[in-house]
Amino acid sequence: MAQQANIGELLSMLDSPMLSVRDDVTAVFKENLNSDRGPMLVNTLVDYYLETNSQPVLHILTTLQEPHDKVDTDAIVLTTGALVLVTVLPMIPQSGKQHLRDFFDIFGRLSSWCLKKPGHVTEIYLVHLHASVYALFHRLYGMYPCNFVSFLRSHYSMKENLETFEEVVKPMMEHVRIHPELVTGSKDHELDPRRWKRLETHDVVIECAKISLDPTEASYEDGYSVSHQISARFPHRSADVTASSYVDTQNSYGNATSTPHSTSRLMLLNTPGQLPQTLSSLSTRLLTEPPQATLWSPSVVCGMTTPPTSPGNVPPDLSHPYSKVFGTAGRKGTPLGTPATSPPPAPPCHSDDYVHISLPQAMATAPKKEERTDSARPCLHRQHHLPNDRGLEELPGSKGSVALSDLPGFLGGLASEEDSIEKDKEEAAISKELSEITTADAEPLAPRGGFDSPFYRDSLPGCPRKTHSAVSSAQGTGANPEPLNSALDRLGPDTPKQAFTPIDLPCGGAEESPAGDRERQASLESSILTPSPFKIPPQRGVGFGGGQPPPYDHLFEVALPKTARHFVSKKTEGLLKKAKGNTEEDFMPSASPMEVLDRLIQQGADAHSKELNRLSLPSKSVDWTHFGGSAPSDETRALRNQLLLLHDQLLYERFKRQQHALRNRRLLRKVTRAAALEEHNAAMKDQLKLQEKDIQIWKVSLQKEQARYSQLQEQRDTVVTQLHSQIRQLQHDREEFYNQSQELQTKLEDCRNMIAELRIELKKANSKVCHTELLLSQVSQKLSNSESVQQQMEFLNRQLLVLGEVNELYLEQLQNKHSDTTKEVEMMKTAYRKELEKNRSHVLQQNQRLDTAQKRILELESHLAKKDHLLLEQKKYLEDVKLQARGQLQAAESRYEAQKRITQVFELEILDLYGRLEKDGLLKKLEEEKTEAAEAAEERLDCCRDGCSDSVTGHNNEEASGPNGETKPPRPGGARGGSGSRGGGGGSSSSSSGGSELSTPEKPPNPRVGPCSSRWETAVGEPTTGIPMTVGSLPSSKSFLGMKARELFRNKSESQCDEDSLTSSSLSETLKTELGKDSGVEAKPPLNLDGPQPPPPKPDSVGQLRIMDYNEAQHEHS
Amino acid sequence: MTEDSQRNFRSVYYEKVGFRGVEEKKSLEILLKDDCLDIEKLCTFSQRFPLPSMYRALVWKVLLGILPPHHESHAQVMMYRKEQYSDVLHALEVIRFISDATPQVEVYLYMHRLESGKLPRSPSFALEPEDEVFLAIAKAMEEMVEDSIDCYWLTRCFVNQLNNKYRDFLPQLPKAFEQYLNLEDSRLLRHLKTSSAVSKLPYDLWFKRCFAGCLPESSLQRVWDKVISGSCKILVFVAVEILLTFKIKVMALNGAEKITKFLENIPQDSSDAIVSKAIDLWHKHCGTPVHSA
Repeated sequence: MAQQANIGELLSMLDSPMLSVRDDVTAVFKENLNSDRGPMLVNTLVDYYLETNSQPVLHILTTLQEPHDKVDTDAIVLTTGALVLVTVLPMIPQSGKQHLRDFFDIFGRLSSWCLKKPGHVTEIYLVHLHASVYALFHRLYGMYPCNFVSFLRSHYSMKENLETFEEVVKPMMEHVRIHPELVTGSKDHELDPRRWKRLETHDVVIECAKISLDPTEASYEDGYSVSHQISARFPHRSADVTASSYVDTQNSYGNATSTPHSTSRLMLLNTPGQLPQTLSSLSTRLLTEPPQATLWSPSVVCGMTTPPTSPGNVPPDLSHPYSKVFGTAGRKGTPLGTPATSPPPAPPCHSDDYVHISLPQAMATAPKKEERTDSARPCLHRQHHLPNDRGLEELPGSKGSVALSDLPGFLGGLASEEDSIEKDKEEAAISKELSEITTADAEPLAPRGGFDSPFYRDSLPGCPRKTHSAVSSAQGTGANPEPLNSALDRLGPDTPKQAFTPIDLPCGGAEESPAGDRERQASLESSILTPSPFKIPPQRGVGFGGGQPPPYDHLFEVALPKTARHFVSKKTEGLLKKAKGNTEEDFMPSASPMEVLDRLIQQGADAHSKELNRLSLPSKSVDWTHFGGSAPSDETRALRNQLLLLHDQLLYERFKRQQHALRNRRLLRKVTRAAALEEHNAAMKDQLKLQEKDIQIWKVSLQKEQARYSQLQEQRDTVVTQLHSQIRQLQHDREEFYNQSQELQTKLEDCRNMIAELRIELKKANSKVCHTELLLSQVSQKLSNSESVQQQMEFLNRQLLVLGEVNELYLEQLQNKHSDTTKEVEMMKTAYRKELEKNRSHVLQQNQRLDTAQKRILELESHLAKKDHLLLEQKKYLEDVKLQARGQLQAAESRYEAQKRITQVFELEILDLYGRLEKDGLLKKLEEEKTEAAEAAEERLDCCRDGCSDSVTGHNNEEASGPNGETKPPRPGGARGGSGSRGGGGGSSSSSSGGSELSTPEKPPNPRVGPCSSRWETAVGEPTTGIPMTVGSLPSSKSFLGMKARELFRNKSESQCDEDSLTSSSLSETLKTELGKDSGVEAKPPLNLDGPQPPPPKPDSVGQLRIMDYNEAQHEHS
Repeated sequence: MTEDSQRNFRSVYYEKVGFRGVEEKKSLEILLKDDCLDIEKLCTFSQRFPLPSMYRALVWKVLLGILPPHHESHAQVMMYRKEQYSDVLHALEVIRFISDATPQVEVYLYMHRLESGKLPRSPSFALEPEDEVFLAIAKAMEEMVEDSIDCYWLTRCFVNQLNNKYRDFLPQLPKAFEQYLNLEDSRLLRHLKTSSAVSKLPYDLWFKRCFAGCLPESSLQRVWDKVISGSCKILVFVAVEILLTFKIKVMALNGAEKITKFLENIPQDSSDAIVSKAIDLWHKHCGTPVHSA
């Protein structure tokens, strides 16, 4: 306890906000878990987690290690786990895929577990486990076929697993078809989330059911009609086993139909409530389960169905109404569920049908019960209803092999459950026996059941167990169906969804599936205490437990004739024994674990009932309130475990049922929609008819209109023809008139022509008259003429005569002189001929000469062309050379220019130097030589003037020759500047150059003249352009020149020169400076065209020359 | 063109890849191979393409008339030029106008003045504006040409060309400058006008001295290629391009004096790009010169 408290504390500390504390506690827990191998701590943790949802605990639990996580050997836990897995798998197809390997491993281990049976697991548990493994197999194969098959391949290819495969897995595989995914899909495709997205949970379940061949699991829809055949074949296999029993049932049926028919009719009075109830149960089944699933479940409940899976076994006449029953039942079910589509059909007729079929079957089952009762006689009271129940169970089993495996299994489940409940209350001996039965698979001695039948349920509340009578039961049944019916009626208008729930409510949520049924059976026992069994929750039912003999056995007594029952029971007993043996030995491997489980349950139920029969009822009722009290603990546990297992199974089945319900809901929706569409179609058809009627009316009116139209057309045609004939007549008239008018016109024209002709004739006559007159005058003239001609003729004739005479005279003379002339003519002819030949040869000669001359001309012409070409080339070359020479000449000239400039500079320098030299001397002799200097200056000036004039003429010549020789640059400065020293270069300038040469040598020796000459030099050197021009235009005269020079000087130096002309030295000085100033600053005075300025172009000088000329002329004139 | 057949077939790709001048050098060599140089063709070539530096002096001399078109007379003419140069130099020395200490550029100036007959009386005369132009150009030319004779002749003839051939065009260049600047960037011109710097821009430096002293010689000679080959309009585009290049700075400056001062002393590092862009601009506005013959 101390440890417990400690753990409690620790657990509370585990959720403390302190991280360190939490870590510490976690560490403590882990340590504890490692050291302690007991499950206690783990269990405590789990409990705590369930209570508080504590995350740290979850963490600890998830990190559990050995030995706590080892495989539990408890079959119950395993079975539960497997079933939970099977249930959960369709819900998490996508998220579960990462644990696929684990699932497969679970399957592998469980399957091997089934075979090896480790520990002391009882066979019963194993059967449960096997069933759950089988379900798991189906689920896994249905959901992940490729992966699962590959797992199977890999897992069972190992030798150690081979046995398991042979024993466990292989039989399972016999109950599945080849999954289409194995052909079309792949491992990855299976895990593709898109595959699962489309499917809901119940879709997945149905998918899994589709591939199952096991009739308990299989689903026969959506193109799986083959499964019908398979399932039909499946019963065939067991047909040999059940054949006889089947025949028996047939016989019994025949009996039932022949004799009990009337009784059943009578019974209708008694069982009106039952039938609706069965119907309702059937309908609920139809609602909740696919039709295929109803193959067995309703039959179990009602005990009246023959499985449609074995149509071959059922006589055609029987199968027909049977299927009809199904159809009607189905139809009935749907109206109840979906009242919106169609109102619930009138129950009488259907129920009538139903009764017809169901009752015989119920009767057919009865004999079985009788047979059972025979076998288990001990308690007569019980025998009455138990065999009945047994018969209910047995009947489908004998009818179809599927039922053989399923229905008893189903009921067996119920029985075992009840057993487990009831056994708790029974003594140890019973339990021992029971265990014997379960292990040895003992044949069911005492047929039991009936708890599950609706009759039993119905009758339970009303009548006490012992004193029930036909009347009371009838009352009970009569009383019970009413609320049910009313409930159903109430449900009727509800939506299909609600159709389930109300049934859920009264039945405590246990009636939806076989499992629910089973549970309900369990609850029924406790339901005795409650006024309405439907309201009792199944859990409570389980809790209470305890079974009471069904109170409705008397019904069967009434319903079934004993003889038939006896006969059938006898027959079936033997066959059943045989079948049991067969199924146990031969059929077992192929039988599905479900069947085995079912059978186990059934056997358990039988055993239980047997044991129960031994007990006195009161003692049983005493023990009901609790269980496990008196019984040995292990037995009790075993029983409890079995109960748990059954509960698991129940829950699993319920889950399946829910999935089916969901599916049905969808299907119903489809049906509703289809019906709505049909109605819509009908409405559309009506509309169509109406419209067709309209169309016909329109057609009739159209025909009328057409007739009227044709009539009008005819009228119009006649009028038109009349008018046409009128027009034709009028046209004819018109043509006649036209012809007449034309005739008249032609006549008129004829007349006109005649008139014209007559006029012409008149004119002709007139002209003739004129003509004749003219002729007359002419003739008269001619006459006069001819007269004069006649006169002349006469005169000429006379002359002719005279001349003839003269001619004759001359002829005579000529004949006398004719002889000498011929010779002379011949001579002349020859002479001419010769001359002609001569001339001809001459012509020939001339022609030849002409030819040669022409040739010669051609030759010469070509020569000429060549010459021309050559000449051209020469010219070009000459040009080239000229150009070259010109370039050189230009260079040379520029050089020459430079040289000239240099000399000028030199001269200037020299003069400057002279000036300085003489400055001193001059200053001294200034006074004395003043006059002399002036004279000398005058002389010098004159001399210079001579030279200058000459040079100017030369310059002029040069100027004149300028235009001719273009090579010479138009630089008057050349003549101007060099006038002193080098001259213009022209022939005429040679004398002047001589003159200038004369003058220049004069300069140096004559110092007195120096200043003046230098002055002149400057005047000549610089302003030459001005002077030659002024002079050049006029004949040179010394006096004039002098005057000009003076004028010039006066212009420049104003009156200074005039006044102080004798003070030459100073004058020269001033002149020089002034000139310098002029050259530098002002180049503008009209006559001051001196040097520093670049030599003006020739046209300018000419222009100035002219201007000067004009000015001079003006001056002279003035 | 006749030399098309001799052209390298890769020429198309050279230009695509960006190698300029490979073909131009070749075609220039073909041009120079002729006995008698075609001055017009040379002009066109020089206008269209940048001259290879190894032929630049020769082409300039021919274009400026220092050398005649005939190859045969080159030697002789060059000899004349040389003699003329030495004569003038000698004369200057004789009259003690120059001494060894006189800077070469001034020597060129005196020689030029002497040759044009404008030699002043004494070396210490006041320099006139045109003399300063001459000095600037001579200074730039001195950097470009090694031989002093060549330098003198090129300077002299270049100045003569400016004074004769372009005498009428040069005064119109400022107007053209404004016009093209307006086309290229009217905002800049507006800025210049608002700061009344348009009239105070260094037109003398740009158009009279032809950027001598403004641009480094390596870029300058590419401008002068165009000037010598007969287009003084390139000067306008160089000026426009200078303004465009330094637009941001010029826009930042407000005073006319500042702008002028900045433009007179522009940074030299981007001059090559300026010249290239200016030539592109010139081609863009005036079209690529095509040989008219």
